[in-house]
Amino acid sequence: MTILDISELTLDLPNGTRLLDGISLTVAEGETVGLVGESGSGKSLTARSVLGLLPGGAVMGGSVQLFGRSVLDASRGELLELRRTRASMIFQDPRAGINPMRTVGDHLTETMRLCDGRSAAEARAVAISLMEAVHLPRPAEHLHQYPHELSGGMLQRVMIAGALTSSPRLLICDEPTTALDVTTQAEIIGVLAEQRASRGMGMLFITHDLNLAAAICDRVYVMSAGRVEEQGDARQVFRNPQADYTKRLVAATPTISVAGDRGRSPVDGSDAAATGVRSATAPVPAEPMLEAVGISKTYLRRGKEPVRAVIDATIEIPRGGALGVVGESGSGKSTLARMIVGLEQADAGDIRIAGRERASARASRAERLAHARSMQMVFQDPYLSLDPRITAGKAIEDALRLHSRLGTTEARARVIELLEQVGLRDAHAQARPRTLSGGQRQRVAIARALAIDPHVLVMDEATSALDVSVQAQVLGVVERIRRERGLTVLFISHDLAVVRRLCEQTVVMKTGEIVERGRTDELLSTPRHPYTRLLIDSVPRPDWQPETVAGEADALEEAAR
Amino acid sequence: MTALRRVAGKLGALLLTLFLASLLVFFSRFLVPGDPLSFLLRGRKPSAEAVAQVSAQYGLDLPPWQQYLNWLAGVLQGDLGRSLQYRQDVTEVIGDRLPVTLGLVVMAGAIIAVLGLTAGIVASLNRGRILDRAVLVGLTVLGAIPSFVGSIVLIAVFAVQLGWFPSFGSGEGFLDTVYHLVLPSIALALVFVVLVGKVTRSSMVEQLGREHVEVATSRGLKRGTVIRRHVVRNSIGPILTVSGVLVAGLLVASAIVEAAFGLAGIGSLLVQSVDRLDFPVVQAIVLLVVAAFVTVNAVIDVLEPLVDPRAAAGVGAR
Amino acid sequence: MTTPTLAMSVLRAPRVRRSSTTFAVSAVFLSAVTVAAILAPVVAPYDPNHVDLLNFQAGPSTAHWLGTDSLGRDILSRMIYGARTALLAPLLVVVFSTVVGILLGLLAGWRGGWIDAVLGRAFDVVFAFPALLLAIMAVALFGKGLVGPVIAMSIAFTPFVARLTRTLVASERSRPYVAAYRVQGFGGAFIALRRVLPNVTPIVGAQSTLNFGYVLAELAALSFLGLGVQAPTADWGAMINEAQSGLIGGYFLPALVPALAVVFVVVAVNVIGEELSDRIGGELPA
Repeated sequence: MTILDISELTLDLPNGTRLLDGISLTVAEGETVGLVGESGSGKSLTARSVLGLLPGGAVMGGSVQLFGRSVLDASRGELLELRRTRASMIFQDPRAGINPMRTVGDHLTETMRLCDGRSAAEARAVAISLMEAVHLPRPAEHLHQYPHELSGGMLQRVMIAGALTSSPRLLICDEPTTALDVTTQAEIIGVLAEQRASRGMGMLFITHDLNLAAAICDRVYVMSAGRVEEQGDARQVFRNPQADYTKRLVAATPTISVAGDRGRSPVDGSDAAATGVRSATAPVPAEPMLEAVGISKTYLRRGKEPVRAVIDATIEIPRGGALGVVGESGSGKSTLARMIVGLEQADAGDIRIAGRERASARASRAERLAHARSMQMVFQDPYLSLDPRITAGKAIEDALRLHSRLGTTEARARVIELLEQVGLRDAHAQARPRTLSGGQRQRVAIARALAIDPHVLVMDEATSALDVSVQAQVLGVVERIRRERGLTVLFISHDLAVVRRLCEQTVVMKTGEIVERGRTDELLSTPRHPYTRLLIDSVPRPDWQPETVAGEADALEEAAR
Repeated sequence: MTALRRVAGKLGALLLTLFLASLLVFFSRFLVPGDPLSFLLRGRKPSAEAVAQVSAQYGLDLPPWQQYLNWLAGVLQGDLGRSLQYRQDVTEVIGDRLPVTLGLVVMAGAIIAVLGLTAGIVASLNRGRILDRAVLVGLTVLGAIPSFVGSIVLIAVFAVQLGWFPSFGSGEGFLDTVYHLVLPSIALALVFVVLVGKVTRSSMVEQLGREHVEVATSRGLKRGTVIRRHVVRNSIGPILTVSGVLVAGLLVASAIVEAAFGLAGIGSLLVQSVDRLDFPVVQAIVLLVVAAFVTVNAVIDVLEPLVDPRAAAGVGAR
Repeated sequence: MTTPTLAMSVLRAPRVRRSSTTFAVSAVFLSAVTVAAILAPVVAPYDPNHVDLLNFQAGPSTAHWLGTDSLGRDILSRMIYGARTALLAPLLVVVFSTVVGILLGLLAGWRGGWIDAVLGRAFDVVFAFPALLLAIMAVALFGKGLVGPVIAMSIAFTPFVARLTRTLVASERSRPYVAAYRVQGFGGAFIALRRVLPNVTPIVGAQSTLNFGYVLAELAALSFLGLGVQAPTADWGAMINEAQSGLIGGYFLPALVPALAVVFVVVAVNVIGEELSDRIGGELPA
């Protein structure tokens, strides 16, 4: 039985911009339907339209039928009734989605007390049983806790429990795990699947993560720019995509499964360059380009336990190599990166670059510049790592001129050259950051780092704020530059699949310690440490292997250029 | 335990600020070049009696820090020195005038609370619509009316032209006093209504856009319930902060309003004492206003966790 | 990231765009007042202090556009001359408090640590003295006139500017773009003065514009109380003070004209200040 039927839904802003352009989709009872797309595709707007959560000002067209009742022209009372009894929604960021000034218990029992007229005791009992159902450890205690006392994963469980208080027949999940670590994501997905199965609810699952959608959905809709590009059986869509957009998306999505995407791993494909560089120095095992030995960092906090962010970490990267550092939030991977580039002082340990000891306290200008030439960094958030007032060209030029004696004309010419190297054009030199897209900004950041011609490039989650297709492009740029320049890369990421694509060597960090290290492919295929195994198992992947469409998609990508 | 330590910390900060402020108030006199005796007795015939009295009171022959300690000891015991113009204890002079000012401030505070909150809430709930614009424009215009302008306009219209309210004095008995204080308190409230209105509006607007409000809505709560439970309370923080600033503002601005309406409060006493070169009274009133301001703000600081549980845990609010 | 991004935020916050006609009108009005003040001797029809006892408290006429006061002085001329102190004094206060406040705020926000703590405490103490109170105290110490109050107000407004700057600078300092400059090898002084400072100055500047209105009103209030500009000198606040006694007798014009002038100038300045901070779009910290 179809419980949700959206047909030809359109949404226009008051200024005439069309954000949704004829969306049609259905969800049947007991079915999990994925809504997949990149940012700006309109997937969240579509999901919100189901509960009539679109604020005034938007002009809607088409129809949204929820249990046979039209949502778009429902009266206020009907809408409240639908929200209270038929469908609920889980939002992306539980930290933002639960009122920080009220207790968890208040959040959970609110609708039962105020809308269903149940007694406080009754509501509390239901809340406790729901918290047990979503596997929260101490339900009775959580009732009296405030959101800031719980972790993100626990809060998302609270959010799920809250959504279930109304015994909905349709559960809408809007990127419910995007703000969470991968192991937490796996747990949350487990809870959702369990509840969906035991309650026989329909589920509309919005995500940008193809692998996740493939892993849990029966059917998927792929959205882009306010349209449905493709729909069908999840297996069919990802294995044998028909629409060009889907093909590109599938190709751009990195996976950790070893079979299934030949030509994607650096070990057999693009590392020809890396081995090329290495073979030049092959006879003698080269002195590592970057060597960090026994690095530790402890943060002292007033009135609280000190945090040991990094404990005795040792890494080395050969000249021209790429090392991935993988870990979840709080693993210390970013602190490690910041110590290596000198943004933080290590409490203990030595850092050597190209065999030279790095001065611990950089006093003089000459030392500062020498250090900058040894090491550059690309930051996570491209929206914050560029100075909003400085144009792309000027940012690169400033870096160039700080480190060389180039005249204005030469510097400008070099800027254009660098921009072209990262796939931008000279016109972008005049652009201020806010007029550039996320991918373009990150390219500028890379060009700026390359302007200094560093020995080592540190990338701290440099692609995790980007959409997959943009991420693929940026990773492509980095791969090409490694090939052309023999650049040494330290790549910090939470995403095993991305690391796998770029790095020959990987270390895994957990609460400040390196728990496992090795060749990336070996580490992924035969993990030794239980935590590494947990990480790998937590990465969502379909229980069927996507057939390779990579070759076809590559051809398409080439054609698109 | 942490709560107790927090309160103790705030109390320490309060005492430190008060101490530093008292230094400023006391030693400001030493900024004036020349003989302290002639400064204190400016414009008066330096009769032997006055000279002896002032010298004794200030201990002018002692080193400055000792003069300060004596003064501070006096202040802590409620002795604020003697007024030169009234030949009375400053404490008494101020005590006589305080009720009028407090009445004025309380009435103005009530007006500010009612009008400011209403304007801010109404505007925020109609954000972007005509009503919001109207309120905003109204607030911008009202905000530009300083209390002395407000005073003379109110006197001109309601006291002189219409004759509805008295233009002068503070009246006898409770009801008559309230009646006399209507116009002054409106004049005093104007600027602050705007302040509270704008802060309320922007705080509410910010909260209305929060995701937890959307979540509450998606659960099927009525709009009124959502606003009451999830928007209003969450918006209180900035409003509380602003009301702390308000207290000092009202006390100082009451000087203007009291002068305009001929009220015998501490504001007009301050102006009059400056005019008549009665420095001990000026010093005392300044100290009083500053102490009131600092104390109220400390109290608000201490109360904050009651509104926002995150403040108690030291987690950044937001 | 992939939250209901742009679209939702556009839908959620239909921005109230003030028509920029009000902005233009305000700018023209302020310019006119400024020019009149500068060219007062040329523009004013009469000597502002010329007493004409036969022609006192006269209503508007072709000879006296805004009428005369209780001593028969031309109100328009007194207004024009009065604009000089009305505009110049707040300007001095705003310039001083902005320059000093930005420097102190930059110092506190950039260096942090004990410098920040000490400055923060000092700001707290000055904060405890409302501007008008500090100005009145200055009069009590140094006598009537505007010099003491202008200095006092400059000091009183400095912590406002400094705190705002400090908050902005501290938040800029924690941004990755500043870390990026460090990693590139730029020195701290360069980053603070040449990169961070220009990024925060426009926001602080817009706020300071709003301060101008407050200062103007408070200094006028001081003259109204008889503690600022003294009697025969033409000054808006002092004019209202002198005209107060006439109010009871029903002579509103001598008080109303300067009162409205204060209101109009403050509205104009506020419109400009708010428009500027809107255009800059900087998020003001709470």
